[in-house]
Amino acid sequence: MEEQDKFCDYLSGVNPVWCPGCGYYGILGALVEAFVDLKLPSKELALISGIGCASRLPYFVKSYGFHGIHGRALPIAQGVKIANPNLTVVTVGGDGDGLAIGGGHFPHVARNNVDLTYILFNNAIYGMTKGQFSPTTTLFSSTKTSPFGLTGEALNPSALAIVYGASFVARGFSVKKEQLKDLIMQGIRHPGFAFIEILSSCSSFNTTDMNVARLLKAIDTVPADHDPENPVEALRLAGDESKIHLGVLRRSSRPSLEDRFQEIEKKAQRGKSHGIDSLVRQFA
Amino acid sequence: MMHDFTLRVAGESGEGVITVGETVARIAAREGLQLVTFRTFPAEIKGGACMMQLRLSDQKISYHGEKVDCLVALNQAALDENFPDLKEQGVLLCEAECDVIEDGLSATVYKVPFERIAVREIGSRISKNIVVLGVLAELLAIPKPRVEEFLAEKFAKKSEAILDHNMQALEKGICFARENFSKREGFGFPPGKPERHLLMTGNEAIALGSAAAGVKCFFGYPITPASEIMEWLAVHLPRMGGKVLQTEDEISAICAVAGASWAGEKAMTATSGPGVSLMSEALGLLSIAEIPAVIVDSQRGGPSTGLPTKTEQSDLMLAIHGSHGDAPRVVIAPTSVSECITMMGAAFYFAEKYQMPVIVLVDQALSARVETVKPGIVEEIPKSSRLRAQAPAEGNFARYKLANSPVSPAAIPGTDGCEHMVTGMEHDEFGNFACDDETHTAMTVKRFRKLEEIEHDPLTQNLCQSIGEGRADIGVVTWGSSAGPVEEAIAEARRLGISVRGLVPKILNPLPHAQMKKFFSEVNRVIVPELNFTGQLASQLRATYRVPTISLTKIKGVPLEPSEIVAKIIEATDGLQQRSARRYGRAR
Ligand SMILES: Cc1ncc(C[n+]2csc(CCOP(=O)(O)OP(=O)(O)O)c2C)c(N)n1
Ligand code: SF4
Ligand SMILES: [Mg+2]
Repeated sequence: MEEQDKFCDYLSGVNPVWCPGCGYYGILGALVEAFVDLKLPSKELALISGIGCASRLPYFVKSYGFHGIHGRALPIAQGVKIANPNLTVVTVGGDGDGLAIGGGHFPHVARNNVDLTYILFNNAIYGMTKGQFSPTTTLFSSTKTSPFGLTGEALNPSALAIVYGASFVARGFSVKKEQLKDLIMQGIRHPGFAFIEILSSCSSFNTTDMNVARLLKAIDTVPADHDPENPVEALRLAGDESKIHLGVLRRSSRPSLEDRFQEIEKKAQRGKSHGIDSLVRQFA
Repeated sequence: MMHDFTLRVAGESGEGVITVGETVARIAAREGLQLVTFRTFPAEIKGGACMMQLRLSDQKISYHGEKVDCLVALNQAALDENFPDLKEQGVLLCEAECDVIEDGLSATVYKVPFERIAVREIGSRISKNIVVLGVLAELLAIPKPRVEEFLAEKFAKKSEAILDHNMQALEKGICFARENFSKREGFGFPPGKPERHLLMTGNEAIALGSAAAGVKCFFGYPITPASEIMEWLAVHLPRMGGKVLQTEDEISAICAVAGASWAGEKAMTATSGPGVSLMSEALGLLSIAEIPAVIVDSQRGGPSTGLPTKTEQSDLMLAIHGSHGDAPRVVIAPTSVSECITMMGAAFYFAEKYQMPVIVLVDQALSARVETVKPGIVEEIPKSSRLRAQAPAEGNFARYKLANSPVSPAAIPGTDGCEHMVTGMEHDEFGNFACDDETHTAMTVKRFRKLEEIEHDPLTQNLCQSIGEGRADIGVVTWGSSAGPVEEAIAEARRLGISVRGLVPKILNPLPHAQMKKFFSEVNRVIVPELNFTGQLASQLRATYRVPTISLTKIKGVPLEPSEIVAKIIEATDGLQQRSARRYGRAR
């Protein structure tokens, strides 16, 4: 195994296929820098994604990558982690992938506290399919499928994650690379389900909702005295309409799914592990 | 002398019908008898008509019997519903208050005040089932100590008083029968063989077979009639160091299977048709990403919620074709409870060896039926393993290498030097997306060549059962749980002097072509009995082999009966005779 200590050691050699100016380049950079700083060996890194522009990311990173189906990155990632708890599992995907088609999985992986990091690239649009609204597009935005505005309010991914019981919730911004790298590192180190929402522009299809200049004015870091252990405070910050708070919103400590599986195994085995013969015997 | 005896217990769900049936079944299995059972389930949670039928024999049997030797009817509705199935010389045991028109009846009728004995003499209505058991034990000559032994085990964890109660109820039932019945010669519990049999349902067999085949991760979402598979594994898999997770839906279940399997463990799910429908997108993913996975589909009736507690074989097309694009998968179908064990081994064998999804088709009747299984059966399970890759000396690891064999060595995450992508996008050898027509063609051919290899796999050769040999006028082809009644029907038709054979492919995709083609060349007419409306296997056979087929379909929610198949065979023979008569006439 060669030393991996440089940025390029983590690149697969496949060039990103994103549009020029896409916010995702910044996310890729921060993510790889986090891997470098964490000294994560590529062979123990599993990058799982669904479908969308965001979900193309695993191709570009040297790792074990799984490009699945639209909306199903979390269930796939959960299976990977359950089968091999030694892997560092990072799941990436878009806002449509995670909150529309795959929205049913998010609460369950969160409440099971599966020890993986889920990074949601929130560009408030369907990039890959060229500009339809997503669940995070704001009400009055005009998109290809909402030429006269939307029918529903935008979802707030971080607030949802908190309500679903995610034990780590953070929000970052694709142009705030240093902070983003730090949040990703904290998320990966967190023992349990870590959710990171990353605001990002889609240079081709949504430069209004996620307008970088506007966002730069609207953002604020989480106040220094914020106590992420307090879920009500965390939710208040996540849902604050006057400011977009960046940083760690929520952190709590509870058993991960793997911890629970170990307890279950202990209870089931009551001190002795069983072979197939003992299972056969109960039918005699 | 061959002993072969069929008993049916019928009543209201909650009346102890199943307890009585299962107790007789357990004791019979311990006596070394073979048995096949069938039971119905009301669609309601509480109440509703139900019955359990047991056929006991000292020979191998593959069907639960059509007409019954003994019918136990616990109320009038059960009597009216089931009486037509009693043999002419059979014995009817019914609740004393039932109306039976005995005029001109050749069956023996015993009216027993089950309820009154339980309430008045034991003082509890719920002990009625044990009174029934006592009466049956005496009538069928089941050795009393065997019943006592069984009850003692069953109530071991309950209080002494409860056991006492039940023993009394048993005794009352036995006494009643002794005092009121005239015992009949040659009728009853056949003497057993020394070898104890295992007794289990199809679902238990699937779960046990999976555990024995080495499944480490199970993901599933509850659905009738498959839930018991997950329930059993939830108890037992952790004992063997495995993990079971109930997911939020079937999509999550199959995707978690994909993830766990890619990460190197044997993984599976079990569901019914509605669940497979939800999984069909992921089936395509497993196919194109070349990931082993085992999916059990216990079929039930109709589309949507349809007949959720009834049996049908109407998911064959879904299993073979359900998904988008060209997405090869293996489909296998056990025909008995014993095969539910061994074929779970086959499922993992094909999945791991060929790195693709394998669907195991069973149905409600097979999932729920209790059957005897020989004790050493788990040793017959084929071993399975995935071809593992080594890190390339230089350059990137080619996960989807195009080579002579369509199966490329796989590397599981964590392996040094084999980092790679698996993907649902069309890809080159390295797993990088590549949507040009040449790559898509080469990769599609690679994926489909696996089916060709499977057709010639040694295991496949054992997955086709021939009933009879050589030339025959009539050939009957069937699949899954319909094999049992077909086997019986063929035996009966032969007794009637008809030249008939059968073939039961237990692998349905790919079909065992060599054996199928040989069979079609040896028979004149092909009948295809199956439990669906459209004749799904028949369509498949016509499309694949261009043979004309005569379908025998049934969608009544219950298995085919041998007599229905015999009737179809006779009908087909008439046709054949007329045809040869016409031909003969023309020649002259
Ligand atoms: C089952 C299914 N439905 C629809 C699609 C088409 N589709 C591909 S990506 C996508 C939306 C992508 O949006 P998002 O998840 O926000 O990712 P982005 O491209 O913005 O990064 C859609 C609708 C699909 N691939 N699969
Ligand atoms: S469409 Fe939008 S999200 Fe997709 S690559 Fe282009 S800029 Fe990025
Ligand atoms: Mg998006």
